[in-house]
Amino acid sequence: MDNNFKKLFIYSFMGIISFSACDEAAIPLDSNNTPLSIDTVSFPIINTVSYQVPPDIGLHEFLYFGKKEEFNFLYNLVRFSNIDSTNIYTFDFYNDSLIIADSMKLIMSFDLDSIEQNVDFQLRYFPGGGDSVFNELTTNYTNFNQLSASSIISSSIMSVDSIDSVTTQVRLNFLMDTTIINVFKDTSFTSFNSSFLVELKTENSSEFKLFSSNNLSNPPKLRVYYRKLLSDSVALDTSFHTYYSSQDVSIIDKPNITTDDSTYLSVGLAKGIRSVLMVDMKGWELPKRSIISSADLVYDRVKNDTLIGYSVSSYPLMNQADFSNFNIYDNDPYDVESNYLSSAPIINNQLKINYRKISTEFGRGGKVNYGFKIQSSPSSDPFKTIQFHNLNSNISYPLLRVIYVRQ
Amino acid sequence: MFVNRFIKTYLIIASFAMSQSIFNGYGLGLSRTSFHSSVNGAGSIGLVPSFHPGVSMDNTATWPGLNFTYISGSFSNQANGTKNTSVVNQAARFNKLQFVIPIRERYGLGLSVKPLNNHNSFFTTDTMAFNFDGKDIFSRKEFRSGGGIMEASLGLALPLNSRMGLGISINHLFGSSRDEQSAIINNTYYRMFNLRTYTGSTFDFDFAGQLYNNNNLSISTFARVGLTNKPVSGKLYKFNFYEDSNNSYSFDTDDYPGDLVVDTTSISNIYSPNSFSFGLNVGFKNDLNIFSEFQMWNDEATNTNYASIFNDQIGSKFHFGGGMIRFGNLNARAWQDQITFRLGAYQDKYSLRYSGNSLIENGISIGFGFKFATTGNQIDFSFRNGTRSITEGQKELFKEITIGVSLGDMWFLRRRAKQ
Repeated sequence: MDNNFKKLFIYSFMGIISFSACDEAAIPLDSNNTPLSIDTVSFPIINTVSYQVPPDIGLHEFLYFGKKEEFNFLYNLVRFSNIDSTNIYTFDFYNDSLIIADSMKLIMSFDLDSIEQNVDFQLRYFPGGGDSVFNELTTNYTNFNQLSASSIISSSIMSVDSIDSVTTQVRLNFLMDTTIINVFKDTSFTSFNSSFLVELKTENSSEFKLFSSNNLSNPPKLRVYYRKLLSDSVALDTSFHTYYSSQDVSIIDKPNITTDDSTYLSVGLAKGIRSVLMVDMKGWELPKRSIISSADLVYDRVKNDTLIGYSVSSYPLMNQADFSNFNIYDNDPYDVESNYLSSAPIINNQLKINYRKISTEFGRGGKVNYGFKIQSSPSSDPFKTIQFHNLNSNISYPLLRVIYVRQ
Repeated sequence: MFVNRFIKTYLIIASFAMSQSIFNGYGLGLSRTSFHSSVNGAGSIGLVPSFHPGVSMDNTATWPGLNFTYISGSFSNQANGTKNTSVVNQAARFNKLQFVIPIRERYGLGLSVKPLNNHNSFFTTDTMAFNFDGKDIFSRKEFRSGGGIMEASLGLALPLNSRMGLGISINHLFGSSRDEQSAIINNTYYRMFNLRTYTGSTFDFDFAGQLYNNNNLSISTFARVGLTNKPVSGKLYKFNFYEDSNNSYSFDTDDYPGDLVVDTTSISNIYSPNSFSFGLNVGFKNDLNIFSEFQMWNDEATNTNYASIFNDQIGSKFHFGGGMIRFGNLNARAWQDQITFRLGAYQDKYSLRYSGNSLIENGISIGFGFKFATTGNQIDFSFRNGTRSITEGQKELFKEITIGVSLGDMWFLRRRAKQ
């Protein structure tokens, strides 16, 4: 082959490769007689009821003292992690003969930068409480005995502390002596409860709002001050380790229920109001290989005031619900399929929750439809109770609307 | 200079000519009747000589007539336009890669790879709006398919006598195809994939015979019987729908649901072609040839469970065509006389298996071949233009340009004895 031909072949081959790609324009077709169809189906709600459980604000960003709106706060429980912020030192570190723990301080920060009304707070702990004395998700006024706490071990008034040269923060500083430290560092328990009860010294109708462990920038802190001995007579300067709150909860006195709360489909964290509803999907089968685009249950709010940043969570129930009356329970009787959580914000006073994941299971026979539970999301304002129209409403009521694609 | 001009010309042609047919949505799509660019130029089905006097690159029985061993490749660009719409689409692909060795002017051996069918398609429906409990829903559908069955062949040419030859090809069918069906609801895609793999085998028996020959006229007949040895079978992977939330065209962690379920099933007897073809060629003085061909092709697959975009399949085909070819002479002094000229017209009538509808393809073709260098290198260009229409259905126009490059060399040829 001569050189010219080689060039011709190479260039030609490159040209062919360059134009091998397809440039496709879709050919328009009449939709009839083509595969796939988009179907819709609406399912009626046949039962609804609200019920009350103890307040559920353990995951809230703040801790409260005093009174807020209709809610009275009895006290706050705070538990600390047994490992410090460096992720190295546990409380038994202070059992070392060369370590002298001098004092301990509980620091709690207010959502304030100046003091308008100063009051006294007092602190107790749980020396006989063993490993654990409370759980922020389940502890409430019905199941916690305040008398299990010790006598008062420290008290504090609100003080303005300088964080840096320009920032101040209102704090509570509870100082504790070695008596308390000795209990914390005692190795009789594998993991001591490290918990405190914080309360107002006298009843107060004002609202005091502090950051909880769910606020990552200013959670309650426990600071242990210690010295390290280099020899019998020489000790390093005082240093400290900081431990952060791992759990905390404000204990609310039993909230009052209004007629609206029990009449409508209601949700609220501080009141512990939740609702269950039953969607009649009996007999429905989702065709094989189909996919649900949306399975929206639309709830219309009763009130028309402005509501921002309020979300509602919903789960499918795992057992039959009692739809007969508004009931009050010490423990929520309705277990849920937590893997099928759906949540959505309330927008323009309408809540639209997409149940397509669990509806797919219902349609394919993988799960039994016992209905749904709705409750306020942990991030929502716990003190706001929201009412939605239910079956008794002549304005609107919830309806599950499913759009799916089938082969 | 020639090289530069060729490149420019080629790139311009290639950029305008290219495609997918609406009829590729039926079953496995349209099956080609011709593969080599020299065959395309004549509108032939490859029985009668079109590459070289007495030789068709698609007819095994004629290979002993080659003067040299050839490596040959054909590449086509096809443009399809649907009548009454402004939609024109394009696709480009290799038609055939081939290696043919003539042995002592009596035998021939060849290997080739070629795509048997064209499954490439892309359809969309109009957007439809409906109101569902007070909310407007906009929906449409899209369908795409691609891939198909490839054929790898081993061909052997044998002499029957001094005027007749026989060719046997053993063909291994393989490959895969995929189709994606999407429903779009308010701009969110719900996609579903099907993947299919294919394997099977066929035989082709080719015949070439010269019935009459004198200085002014020669008459030759050609025939082919195509039989299926093992009908095409394979695996069907049916993926469930998923919501392509980020419109990435593939299933990923952003998509719903979290996992993609696939059903795998074996599919058998989905393609079983059998055919009979016959051609007659009359050669005149000055290498002018007139030919006519017909073919009856039938897919005798029994598995009707082959889902395609349209709920129908191509069950049979009847081809009839004819044309003329004037072969160039490599030793001619004038360059015009070195050019092979081809012209043809044909009709393919496909019958759909279930609806009974007919799909008729009418085409005309023209082609040129340029020989160069002492070993018979050849570049072939062809252009086909035609229409496809279906009973009570769409009509489309197509144009196809095919380019083939064949490089010759001397293998197993009789050498002149040293004087």
